[in-house]
Amino acid sequence: MTINIIQYDKVSVYIGSKKIISDASCSIPKNSLTFLVGENGSGKTTLVKSILGLLPLSSGQISFDVIENRKPILGYVPQNIVFPEPFKITVSEYLKYAAHVPSNEIKTTLEKVDFPETHIRSNITELSGGQIQKILLAAELYRRPEILFLDEPLSSVDDSSEKHIIDVILDEKKEGVSIVIITHDWQFVSSYADHVICLNRNYICDSGNNCVCKNSLSKVNIKNIQKTTPDPNNTHIGYCYIENI
Amino acid sequence: MDFIEIFTIPFMQRAFIAAILLAIILGFFGIFIVPRRLSFMADGITHASLLGIALGLLIGAYPLIYAFILAIILGIILARITDYSRITQDGLVGIFLVGGMSAAIIIMSFIPGYKPELFSYLFGNLLSINWLDIYLLGVFFIIVVLVLIFQWRPLVLTTIHNDLSRILDMPMNKTRYFLFIGTSMALIAGVKLLGVILVSGLLIIPVLIANQVGNSFKSNVIFTQLIAIIITFLGVIFSYVFDLPTGPSIGLLLVVTFILSLLYSFIRSKNRSH
Repeated sequence: MTINIIQYDKVSVYIGSKKIISDASCSIPKNSLTFLVGENGSGKTTLVKSILGLLPLSSGQISFDVIENRKPILGYVPQNIVFPEPFKITVSEYLKYAAHVPSNEIKTTLEKVDFPETHIRSNITELSGGQIQKILLAAELYRRPEILFLDEPLSSVDDSSEKHIIDVILDEKKEGVSIVIITHDWQFVSSYADHVICLNRNYICDSGNNCVCKNSLSKVNIKNIQKTTPDPNNTHIGYCYIENI
Repeated sequence: MDFIEIFTIPFMQRAFIAAILLAIILGFFGIFIVPRRLSFMADGITHASLLGIALGLLIGAYPLIYAFILAIILGIILARITDYSRITQDGLVGIFLVGGMSAAIIIMSFIPGYKPELFSYLFGNLLSINWLDIYLLGVFFIIVVLVLIFQWRPLVLTTIHNDLSRILDMPMNKTRYFLFIGTSMALIAGVKLLGVILVSGLLIIPVLIANQVGNSFKSNVIFTQLIAIIITFLGVIFSYVFDLPTGPSIGLLLVVTFILSLLYSFIRSKNRSH
């Protein structure tokens, strides 16, 4: 039986006066690699931020099935983060502050994410988006949260690092971490997903067992709709939760 | 005049002690205020606090008390502004600045006669610092340093990124209120030495200079403190030797040092590219 580490139940989220997520339900299975897919503006990042407690819920509830008193529970690597330039924080300083990485473990922590040793003393603001994402990932891997959210982890990394990052993610899953990935990379989804949550305002469900989830790149047939909001049997605008593609 | 003599005069001793304590306190707050792009807040708070000083002068009481109370209230209001508020922080600061200054000048127009203290509050006066000021500043310094020891990591992380800090379980509100109220109080504490108009310079400019010469956060912190202490110290001496207002003496030295640091940074980057 699948144990869900997160249950997202009839949740609505507003940003300002705009409703971004409307009465959506889904669940994230424990110790799985769950992908969150959908068009731009469909609410993927909003869904993740609401789970992380970064955005307030206007209705609904989110429950976690986690070991009590085990910290940290949640980890997050955003797609883009702009570090304040006048702060001059270096890579090693960030790891010390964010994840308490001791000086003698900084090199090995960064090696895990294929980050070049030569840049350890560099200011973070001088690095590329892909390199910054690697540093954030390295910090989260050191923190070892129970659930790790990654927003487009491969979008800025070069080809040589891509395989490395995927291997790291799979290793974390093997170690018992539940991982949720936001992506537009359907190749990535079809190769590694245990579960897929589709947030799409433009998908067609022609039967209870078949859902075509459209996106700007391709179409993928996704089977076994477990739960949808609203009713999966009709063509509609809304959210669906899909397992076992 | 014997140079050593400067250090034996009681009012100069008080000015030096105040200068060092203020440089350290404002330097620490500036490290976190400048990267958050809140420098304008410093100007807004100090200019608005002129209302408190004007009220004090009108009533005939210790004017800085009113300025402190007003600054704390403004600091609390600013700390309550979030990304989702209807008004932005800099918009609100602009309102404080205009409202505070306008009300202060109108109140002052009701005070009869020449107001010599007003000039001191506007531009700073090393003669105006008494031992009570030093004791109060000392207590404030100890409180700030103690809180900083416990709030250092949250201050660093919340300056980097709010969302990541929340996920790392940082005490967001506590840190925010400490930074805003602490900065507001530190600015008012510096009014007697540097004046309302120029006190924000000691909060902002040492950080900008350190940013030109430092190459890590740790070095930025050290340089900020060293630059703030040395320049404030020299500014007090300049002010005494050339009989100048203290605020502009320190302010001008800060700006000249900033220009020199820009030149240094430019030459260093040119040498690196060759």
